[in-house]
Amino acid sequence: MRDQPDPETAVRIRVRRLSALASGLVAGALAGAGLCLATLWLVVKGGHPVGPHLALLGQFFIGYRVTPMGSLVGLAYGSVTGFAVFFCGAALYNWIAQRREAGGGPA
Amino acid sequence: MSDRSFVVVGGGPAGLTAALQLTRFGVPVTVVERTQAVGGIARTEEYKGFHFDMGGHRFFTKRADVHRLWEELLPGDFLRRPRLSRIYYRGRFFHYPLKPVEALLRLGPLEALRIVLSYLRWQAFPHRREETFEQWVTNRFGRRLFETFFKAYTEKVWGLSCSELRAEWAAQRIKNLSLRSILVSFLVPPRQTITSLIEEFHYPRRGPGMMWRAAARDVEARGGVVRLDSDVTRIVREGTRIVRLEVRRGGGLETIEGTDFITSMPVTQFVRRLDPPPPPEVLEAARRLRYRDLLTVCLIVNRPHLFPDNWIYVHDEGVKVARIQNFKNWSPEMVPDPSRTSLGLEYFCDEGDAFWTLPDAVLVQRGREELEKIGLAQAADVEDGCVFRVPNAYPVYDSVYAGHLGVLRGFMDGLENCRTVGRNGLHRYNNQDHSMLTAMSAVGNMLFDESHDLWSVNTDAEYHEEVRTGPETAAVTELLERFDPVAMGLSSGAMSGALIALATLVLVMKGGPVVGPTLGLLAEYFPGYRVSGAGSLVGLFYGGALGFLGGWAFARIRNLQTALFLALARRQRDLRGLARLLE
Repeated sequence: MRDQPDPETAVRIRVRRLSALASGLVAGALAGAGLCLATLWLVVKGGHPVGPHLALLGQFFIGYRVTPMGSLVGLAYGSVTGFAVFFCGAALYNWIAQRREAGGGPA
Repeated sequence: MSDRSFVVVGGGPAGLTAALQLTRFGVPVTVVERTQAVGGIARTEEYKGFHFDMGGHRFFTKRADVHRLWEELLPGDFLRRPRLSRIYYRGRFFHYPLKPVEALLRLGPLEALRIVLSYLRWQAFPHRREETFEQWVTNRFGRRLFETFFKAYTEKVWGLSCSELRAEWAAQRIKNLSLRSILVSFLVPPRQTITSLIEEFHYPRRGPGMMWRAAARDVEARGGVVRLDSDVTRIVREGTRIVRLEVRRGGGLETIEGTDFITSMPVTQFVRRLDPPPPPEVLEAARRLRYRDLLTVCLIVNRPHLFPDNWIYVHDEGVKVARIQNFKNWSPEMVPDPSRTSLGLEYFCDEGDAFWTLPDAVLVQRGREELEKIGLAQAADVEDGCVFRVPNAYPVYDSVYAGHLGVLRGFMDGLENCRTVGRNGLHRYNNQDHSMLTAMSAVGNMLFDESHDLWSVNTDAEYHEEVRTGPETAAVTELLERFDPVAMGLSSGAMSGALIALATLVLVMKGGPVVGPTLGLLAEYFPGYRVSGAGSLVGLFYGGALGFLGGWAFARIRNLQTALFLALARRQRDLRGLARLLE
């Protein structure tokens, strides 16, 4: 655990680190839930065809369709993708920030 | 421990606390007090059954051990009292600590407007150099507000023009305020204890002297000795060890020996009484440290009620009195007759100056006249009065004190068997409980080889604030840490670029008569982009660039927001600090 500097030091000198796991979990939960709800909303609205644009995600998420079952598939895909992107993004940020700090600090 | 015997110089809060601690550990101790009463600058004087608290001493502490000691010494005699203090200025009263809206309303629309305009003017064109207290306050709050609420009183207290008083004095007091606590209070609703600490305080039924008399009795009951009317005239040392004191008591001189010494007498006087004397630079440092002295004109008024305040700050320049205590409002038992009110008119001066040496009768008459001039009572209603003088009541923080105190500290820390404690021993603007804490720490250091730094015991700083520690402050500090915009831009750009490139490649690999018509719409924004192998590289570039800009801007805006947040907190700290400058 890092020591706690005074606020003036914190804001001027300390570069914030991100928790990759927390970022990934939050983003994964939001993305999964968002895709699931968006799918269910279109299913409830109905029509012919149901959610043609959202269904294009099936191009990337194999097995995904705009159906009740597809909402569960979307939940899984959204969670995994959201987690992966933000976990990697946060880890990459930490790595770059650390390298830059070691090399003389951020601009 | 049985072969050790302690001598404590000073029978005030610090000295008696040290003696209490020592006797409770079974260590022989002798307390030497110059005056005929214990309590030091927190003593309570008595006149015809009326009790007068010299300076007004609220009892509040965040230290459980100090509070426990108070409760032990005065079980059942500790009152919880409401606090009301106001500023008297040009015939009007203003709640203190200042409530800005109330203050502006009471001053009237014209004066309020002038204060606001003055504030804006000094925000736009501040003094380029902040060397004096006047410049320091003016730059933060405008000249008009400074003149209204701070100039006259500050000059009365310190005896210096605000243009002579150094800015460091104000900065020093503000500096100790916890910016972090203020930041936390922005985010977390304040707890009830804040209000209770500021608006209420504990007080012994008959003033702080009651506490210290009880402490002296406790010391004596446990085998300690408390010698009053004993003025230390010579402190004999052998190298870095104190070996004995010479004390004038009654008409004669006495010698008091001990293995260990704790002193709460003014550190300047301590070094001057050393034999052999300390190095010249130490004596010179002692000569340059200043104290401000307090003279209280006590008046007995034949009215049951005069005003509801515990005390009033008098900012009017037309009178010399700086603060008026209404002791009956501290505790009803401070007066023996409920049909009477006792007041303490406090004058700040220098020992031996023209005011200090005025005859008591003249001072009582002066007090009577000023009371009527202010309009708090008729001079004819004052039926009796007396005067008490408290030398060395306030250590002066002038522009040179820190350097001289450093020299004295260096010398005192070099003494093997002696520690200096308390407000005057450390030349620090300590509250009562902090003085006690320095004594407790000194005993811990001397008896148990603990390593408390007596010189860094908190002076007053976060005292009036809710001090927060633990997860709240840790979280706030983390919130304040800045984002690295470049790192944020690069990581964001890498993720965005990779996503677009990957999505493009997936569609290319899937193939079909028309490859990725929907994703291809990105070409509307990314000229040259297509859903193709080469297009994935173009997408990587565009996504990277756009992601970089987004991430970089996010970090910059977040850092700016943090800076504004901190600036707001600094302003709040300055305001709170300024509100405490009078106390």
